[in-house]
Amino acid sequence: MTGKFRIKPMRVLKHLFLILVSFLSAFPFYWMVSSATNDTADIILGRILPGKHLMVNWNNLVSAGKIGTAFFNSLRNAVVLTFLSLFISSLAGYGFVVFRDKWKNKVMGVLMLSMMIPPAATLIPMFRMFSQLGLVNTMAGFMLPSIATVFLIFMFRQAAQTFPFEIVQAARIDGLGEFNIFLRIFVPVMRPSYSAAAIVTFMSAWNSYLWPLVILQNPDQITLPIYAGSFRGGYVLDYGLIMLVVTISTIPMLILFFALQRSFVAGILGSVK
Amino acid sequence: MKKLFALLLATVMLLSAASALAQTKLTVWCWDPAFNIYAMEEAKKVYAQINPDVEIEVIETLSGDCETRQTTALSSGQTDTLPDIVLMQDNSGRRFLDTFPGAYFPMDGLVDYDNFATYKIDKFTSGGKRYAVPFDNGVAATFVRTDYLEAAGFTLADLTDITWDRFIEIGLKVKEATGNYMLVTQAGYADFVSMMTQSADFWFFDDEGHPNINTNPAVRAMVETIVKLHDSGIVKEAVDWSEYIASFNNGSAGSTIQGCWIIGSIVLAKDQAGKWGVTNIPRLDIESGTNYSSQGGSSWVVPASSKNPEAAVDFLSKTFGASVEFYQTILQSSGAIATYLPAADGPAYSEPHPFFNGQKVFEDLMNYSSKVPLVKYGVYNYEARDEIVNAIEAIFNGASIDTALNDAQSAIEFIME
Repeated sequence: MTGKFRIKPMRVLKHLFLILVSFLSAFPFYWMVSSATNDTADIILGRILPGKHLMVNWNNLVSAGKIGTAFFNSLRNAVVLTFLSLFISSLAGYGFVVFRDKWKNKVMGVLMLSMMIPPAATLIPMFRMFSQLGLVNTMAGFMLPSIATVFLIFMFRQAAQTFPFEIVQAARIDGLGEFNIFLRIFVPVMRPSYSAAAIVTFMSAWNSYLWPLVILQNPDQITLPIYAGSFRGGYVLDYGLIMLVVTISTIPMLILFFALQRSFVAGILGSVK
Repeated sequence: MKKLFALLLATVMLLSAASALAQTKLTVWCWDPAFNIYAMEEAKKVYAQINPDVEIEVIETLSGDCETRQTTALSSGQTDTLPDIVLMQDNSGRRFLDTFPGAYFPMDGLVDYDNFATYKIDKFTSGGKRYAVPFDNGVAATFVRTDYLEAAGFTLADLTDITWDRFIEIGLKVKEATGNYMLVTQAGYADFVSMMTQSADFWFFDDEGHPNINTNPAVRAMVETIVKLHDSGIVKEAVDWSEYIASFNNGSAGSTIQGCWIIGSIVLAKDQAGKWGVTNIPRLDIESGTNYSSQGGSSWVVPASSKNPEAAVDFLSKTFGASVEFYQTILQSSGAIATYLPAADGPAYSEPHPFFNGQKVFEDLMNYSSKVPLVKYGVYNYEARDEIVNAIEAIFNGASIDTALNDAQSAIEFIME
């Protein structure tokens, strides 16, 4: 009885620290959402409580136009890219582990080296290539450069190394084709890794700015980050509206994260161990 | 069959060529729906009366994004994605014109440049050719709470045509009387670095484009003045843009010295209506010092890759470059102040402004606009400004002015090599 209810100072300290950290990470979100319900003058003067301007901000946003288009484009691009990218990168990562080849580690090394090149350095040559291929203003133009990322290949390669190779051999003996081994055995077992990869890929596609900015120039192709950015260009800024757009743009990420949270954590742990 | 096909093809081509002749389409990139885009839409209406065969499509693009897209397209040589007209920040003009020679369409002889403030035209002049139709005005002014001045026993006239030393004297009294800061600016004083230097008819570069910082009398006077302002305690140094705006909207600072486009943010504080006044800026106490300068503003350029550059220039010159009436409309609805000098004669410019206690603010600003010293901007304006901001920071922390300015001079020389 006594031992159970005694307050341990270390424990109090630990919890105080955790409360502080949770506050620090949650407060900006709270402020963002509450600002979406205030008008600009109040936000500038530092109002933190929710206000009554949500509908005004919403109406301003709707009358600015294109929020639906931008949201739909971003969602479509991110979803399609996530599926394609997961499929191709995991196939590659799997292949790097399962098949024997004396060059494969060197190839992986070269791929890893390519991660050192900053994306801004390849922007102009890439734009030149894609423009000559006629892929400006197409979804393919947006997706091709990030359809196979070294980071994901590496992640799936690490995950595949923990995969029991005996199962693959047993399946081969039973006469299952290589592609079916991948699809029916590897993919279901590696669900946690796929969840983690899905979140990472979706997030980078959802947030990407520079590449869609130059490759998707047609106003009908506008994506949400570029759309949200457009409200930051004025001599007078409407912070209420900006916060509403930003709030809207975090919703899909939140949904995805909460849906996959459990396997995301497992996936990250799995790829590290 | 083959002949029929050829005939059909020829007909189709002829028809499409004919319709292309009838309908010229111009695309425009610019930002800010309340200001630039609005002005462009109004210009479209004006031009529809003059030449109904031209269709104009405005595509909202952030100023930084316009620059990224232009840099990408021009560097890779794939210019067919560029529009027919782009709005460009005045400070970026030289950079694009000099980095990509031949990428923009010269407008000499097509635009009547005599009607524009000269300091604007020069920002888009390269190799003796002029490449832009100037648009919004960045003329600088002192925007001040007259009730704060009165509390300390001063009027707007006491703040007019003065030196910075006098401004600090008045500021100290205002702070004593009201408990509020006299002035607000963003920490680092970056806006003041360029505004003050230009007000004394100097720039960070000499006429040949070489960095002119450590032996430049205006830069030295500017740095000394900023140090005095910093030490005086009358300046609120805001950490970011929203705190800057908040400081005058909530009354904790009694004035701001800025490009005239700041009016849009000042009038947000509706409870302060009638309590504001506008006058010219303080001058540096050197021989060439004036009470006039500029900060910000932008101009319209036409990429040379445009399929119809002449049509684009014709549109710009007959609206932004010729219509007093057009400027009346956009002033009333958006507060966009012209650099087209004849616009000042229109009735909207002489209207008393209720927020500024009935002062004829726009007339005054147009008057200042014609007196802004003409300085020659360089390619590395922002870099030079940032080096001087670093130097000032070093001086705040105890470095001597000589050492700090010598360091800034060598830093910018290094960047330009």
